[in-house]
Amino acid sequence: MTLANLELDLDVFTGPFDLLLTLVLREEVDLLELQLAEVVLAYLDHLEARGELDLETATEFIVLIAALLELKSRLMLLGEEDEELDIEPEEAAEELLARMLDARRYRSASTHLRELLAAEHGVRFREAPLPANLRRTVLAPAEGSQDPDVLGEAIGRLLLMPPEINLKHVSVPRVAVSERLALLRGLLRRGAFSFDEAVRGADRMTVAVTLFALLELYKRGEADWEQDGSFGEIAVHAPVAMAATGPVAVASTAAAGLAG
Amino acid sequence: MSDAEELPELARTVEALLFLSTDPLSVGELAEAAEVGEGAVTAALALLGERHSPGRSGITLRELGGGWTLASDPSSEDAARRLFSRPRVSTLTPAQAETLAIVAYLQPISRPEITRIRGVGADSAVATLLDRGLIDEAGHSQFGAVIYRTSMQFLKLFGLRTLDELPDVARWDPTPEEQSELRERLLKAGEARAS
Repeated sequence: MTLANLELDLDVFTGPFDLLLTLVLREEVDLLELQLAEVVLAYLDHLEARGELDLETATEFIVLIAALLELKSRLMLLGEEDEELDIEPEEAAEELLARMLDARRYRSASTHLRELLAAEHGVRFREAPLPANLRRTVLAPAEGSQDPDVLGEAIGRLLLMPPEINLKHVSVPRVAVSERLALLRGLLRRGAFSFDEAVRGADRMTVAVTLFALLELYKRGEADWEQDGSFGEIAVHAPVAMAATGPVAVASTAAAGLAG
Repeated sequence: MSDAEELPELARTVEALLFLSTDPLSVGELAEAAEVGEGAVTAALALLGERHSPGRSGITLRELGGGWTLASDPSSEDAARRLFSRPRVSTLTPAQAETLAIVAYLQPISRPEITRIRGVGADSAVATLLDRGLIDEAGHSQFGAVIYRTSMQFLKLFGLRTLDELPDVARWDPTPEEQSELRERLLKAGEARAS
């Protein structure tokens, strides 16, 4: 069977797929009102009924439905699309024609070139370069470049160990998790606090380590938190019930939630 | 002038310079090297041309690639082929010829542009033409693609004095009737696809 025989029963159209295509392309059926998903479903039903997959027909169907989808999305986006992107069939044909003419022009030119080349058959030229001593400029070897000592010195410089680079002026901020744990525990003892409070004025590294410490507290069941939405405030408090069931397994998911 | 007659000194000098040079030499270059005026060189070249006209000598004087050069007479080609292993560039595949035509007419041109005009890739054709020395790389386009132009070798092998000797490409344009027929066929094909 071919696609032409696929019978459709849709809201806006009943009949063979082939006819639908024709009507859509002639704009007698409004593509905007056509539910393409229904067409796909009908085709799937049809496939199921047949019980076997004809690859060629399936491919044809996919190509056609993809073209219809593209056409439809263009229609839907009409207002927003750049005018230049809207190519009328006439224009498309003109452009194609221009390109074909271009290609044809140079194909003919290539025939002419081949004739030229054939006419020159058997003509050879001197190919050896002019002997060095006959060339207009003869470059003398650069002064001293052939002295082995120059090479030795050059490689010697490479083999020297470079002086160690002084990093004293670079300070790496170090923040200990234990330090931040102590701080968080201190805050917890006073009651609930927000994460922002715990890291007020701190640098990025400290914020990161504090978050890490908070996760650790959560893992140990010493703290719990709420966050209303992404980037919202994180309210930290002692767990409501000091449940014995360790929330270790949830720690990682909680971390992901926090990060979000 | 018979072959036995001696060439004037300047003509002999010009002949020697042409023999030594791998690239075509312009009248200006020859005049400068021989320390004479360009008119004298032109006269000497005319004498040499006569001496080396086809059928009189195994070597012919040719004006190619923006200058003058000595070339072998085609009648020696069979022997030359037996002597040298490297064959002269004698044929081009249609793809290579098409690519070369596009470069010759539209140079400098990048590979993507060649591909766009031909409608198919030109990578291997470009590589072969480069390999045969018919085209050269000539820098990069503003988008970074390598651009190509034809080489001196191209002019020599195709017997061209300059690129201007290439016929106007418009002469291969189809007639308006052929064009409208093509347009009709395209539109018809479009409709056939649509129905």
